[in-house]
Amino acid sequence: MHVRLKIGPVLIPTFAMPRSIAFWMHFVRSALILLGTTVASAENWPCWRGPQHNGISQETGWNASWPEAGPPIAWRASVGIGFSSVVVSDNRLYTMGNEDNQDTVRCLDATTGATLWSHSYEADLGDKFFEGGPTSTPTLHGDSVFTLSRWGHLTRLNRITGQVRWSTNVAQETGTRIPGWGFAGSPRIHDQKLLLNVGESGMAIDPATGSILWKSANRDAGYSTPVTFKLQDRWVMALGSGKSFLAVDVETGTELWQQRWLTRYGVNSADPIVAGNQMFISSGYGKGAALLEMNASGVNVVWQNRDMRNQLNSCVLLDGHLFGFDGDAGVSSSLRCLSWKTGEVLWTDESIATGGLMAAGNRLIVLSDQGELIVAEASREHFLPLARARVLQGKCWTTPTLANGRIYCRNAVGDLVCVDVRPTAPASSQVDQTP
Amino acid sequence: MKLTRRQFLSTSTAAGFALTGLPLRAAAATSQYRTALIGSGWWGMNILREALAARRSRVVGLCDVSADILETSADEVRDLSGDSPKTYLDYRELLEKEKPEIVIVATPDHWHALNTIAAIRSGAHVYVEKPTGHTVEESRAMHAVARHSESVVQVGLHRRIGPHHVSGMKFLKDGRAGDIGMVRMFAHSSGGAELPAPNSEVPEGLDWNMYCGPAPMRPFNSRIHPGGWRNFLDFANGTLGDWGVHWLDQVLCWTDEKYPDRVYSTGGRPIRGEPVLNEREQTTDAPDSQVAVYRFKSFTATWEHRRFAGNNAEKTRIGCYFYGTKGTFHMGWRDGWTFYPSNERESVVHEASQLQEPDGHNMQLLWNDFLTAIEKRKRPMADIEVGHRATTLSLLGMLSLKLGRSLNWDGATEQIIGDPEATALLRRDYRAPWHYPTA
Ligand SMILES: NC(=O)c1ccc[n+]([C@@H]2O[C@H](COP(=O)([O-])OP(=O)(O)OC[C@H]3O[C@@H](n4cnc5c(N)ncnc54)[C@H](O)[C@@H]3O)[C@@H](O)[C@H]2O)c1
Repeated sequence: MHVRLKIGPVLIPTFAMPRSIAFWMHFVRSALILLGTTVASAENWPCWRGPQHNGISQETGWNASWPEAGPPIAWRASVGIGFSSVVVSDNRLYTMGNEDNQDTVRCLDATTGATLWSHSYEADLGDKFFEGGPTSTPTLHGDSVFTLSRWGHLTRLNRITGQVRWSTNVAQETGTRIPGWGFAGSPRIHDQKLLLNVGESGMAIDPATGSILWKSANRDAGYSTPVTFKLQDRWVMALGSGKSFLAVDVETGTELWQQRWLTRYGVNSADPIVAGNQMFISSGYGKGAALLEMNASGVNVVWQNRDMRNQLNSCVLLDGHLFGFDGDAGVSSSLRCLSWKTGEVLWTDESIATGGLMAAGNRLIVLSDQGELIVAEASREHFLPLARARVLQGKCWTTPTLANGRIYCRNAVGDLVCVDVRPTAPASSQVDQTP
Repeated sequence: MKLTRRQFLSTSTAAGFALTGLPLRAAAATSQYRTALIGSGWWGMNILREALAARRSRVVGLCDVSADILETSADEVRDLSGDSPKTYLDYRELLEKEKPEIVIVATPDHWHALNTIAAIRSGAHVYVEKPTGHTVEESRAMHAVARHSESVVQVGLHRRIGPHHVSGMKFLKDGRAGDIGMVRMFAHSSGGAELPAPNSEVPEGLDWNMYCGPAPMRPFNSRIHPGGWRNFLDFANGTLGDWGVHWLDQVLCWTDEKYPDRVYSTGGRPIRGEPVLNEREQTTDAPDSQVAVYRFKSFTATWEHRRFAGNNAEKTRIGCYFYGTKGTFHMGWRDGWTFYPSNERESVVHEASQLQEPDGHNMQLLWNDFLTAIEKRKRPMADIEVGHRATTLSLLGMLSLKLGRSLNWDGATEQIIGDPEATALLRRDYRAPWHYPTA
């Protein structure tokens, strides 16, 4: 785990922290808090939904009390049309966009917004019913960044130089169908495999060479990112396909089970959320949500309702409560809190129609489709905004990213904004949280 | 602007509109029409929701060539109304087995004629989406078949009845914009060049042969289905055949003239590029920009669309300008209507739209008008003849674009004068086993 610590205004440089040290640091931080010192810990965000693959950051100490005029904007940049979110590691930021029918993978200095390198390849904008452009997010691993385009271009680049290690087109190479809106799931690194939502139940690639380890039936993929977890002693990958949510053995690609989950246009885009042997699934287009109980060969539905319809982005699960957007963009949508256990709606807030969200500690970081950035308490009682500011214009459907005291937000046309939420002064206005 | 159904009703009542549907709704418990939908996609389901909201329909059948769309649509109907419609992949079977009293047709344009004529012949009243036909003779056949029947045939031109359109028309007809000598219709969006998308195998559960139907068979491509068929000329007629029909109808609604006597159009794909269609991949093939000129006796009307550049130099991207001696009147969509007096000392007059959201339409009013027409055995607001006239103008524009020359049009006999080549293109050959419709 890459962690950057910040104690008061002093920065401790990034380092890779072995587990034992992490454990130590936990003690040190607790001790410091006990001593009444302001302590914050920062975190990288190396892939879609973050280091724990759940949309939750461990970062603390960031500033959620903003002046009337809004939080300071560190910089703005233009990264091309698309819905790719931002990943960050070692003060470098990566995202994708499309200009003139070219996808560009960009590496920016996370502090200044300066472009460090970019890599482009021909790719159709694909603007059927929306602005188009890439919809998946780059994945950082070791010294590499992996990217998947809507049309199947899969690339491994050197994270520092942008140099191409290998590049292939997994759709062309395997003759796999491209779903209506192209591939949208981000690549997922698991062990020595690069897992993709391509084909009916995914595909595994050797990250070293780009060669295919296993692939699945040639049916429409869904739009979610693969999620991996351990189920009865084996590693399992779950994803939303064109017509179902399903699980496969990571090692072999063998399908373990499928839960039929049909939506009008084959759009299952929210990642499944796993806790223990239970999995939450949700889709828009009127479909709704369900909690599944899994074993290695099948699933039971614990509950199913139409009260959380994640059309675009996934929920986050905090302390037994799901927070996410219910309903389709432009139709009737709202921010909601649902009980994991029962599926019961705990609250609904209609002041934000749709958008994306992540969490850090017990705070939600929400970017509304109108470009309003909102920090809210993740309360099961009601929607409790702590800070809100308009940071972008135009359609924002992309989940914001908090990393190292900065929140990165983008809109569909590719305006990227860096909001500075580093702790300003050692006291008062900080969001403190004991680890 | 988001209006709830109730707010919507009261605002439109306040605006003085005859809410013809209300008495019917009161009678809802007593009789319900056996209602079926052919083409259960985006707009078809929008119409069906209006039908259910009016509470005069029981949904007995849904038809689509996609099994997935059928399953999800039937699911939604069950949720909304408790009805359990039977689902059909073939509209002929639906008509035969369900014998619906009302049929909604919301397939891609190339299917409208066959679906509508079969529905009328089965004895149903029909609510068919615009454009009426894909070629002129289809539309004429629909019109003729409707006239030889007892069926009410409404075309989905909800702008005929939308509150701001009606009040705007009154403003124009009252002479408040003065004498109008020129009309400009337009629809602009942004965009750029187009790269081909790879063809793929037909998705499981989609009857692609039936989808293409009377149109030529082509490889499946996700750019076509769902919804993308609009920009493929085998299935539709591009932006003029889509948006253009609404605005042409607004012009026909305003003028006392029934048709122009000459039509010319030019345009192409300078930005999107040459169309591609081969075994591996394809692009759309509709024009990315087009101008069409309609010569009426007392005014000239032009159409223009662009699928690039947007239109930020003007205040609006869509609608219709009526240029009169007293100023410029803009009939818009979500932006309502606005009158800009030529005398700068006079103030701008504006009326907001009153639309149903999402998707910004006035189908509740149009559906209620349809029910009234059925009940009272009278012509509906957007009768087949209205739809046929507006559609014909859009199709003549497309024909002129294709031939690259002006067409002289005899609207009384619906003939192109002195141009056999153009006349031949008022129809097209159907792919077997389908037969081009005749009255
Ligand atoms: N009046 C308006 O404002 C308005 C707005 C939108 C669409 N429309 C019209 O509605 C119609 C449908 O458009 P859409 O946007 O819903 O398209 P869509 O692609 O979403 O839906 C069309 C459906 O028809 C189905 N279909 C194709 N061939 C069929 C057949 N032979 N039998 C049964 N089903 C078949 C398709 O599978 C698809 O589900 C078009 O004519 C369009 O012009 C009108």
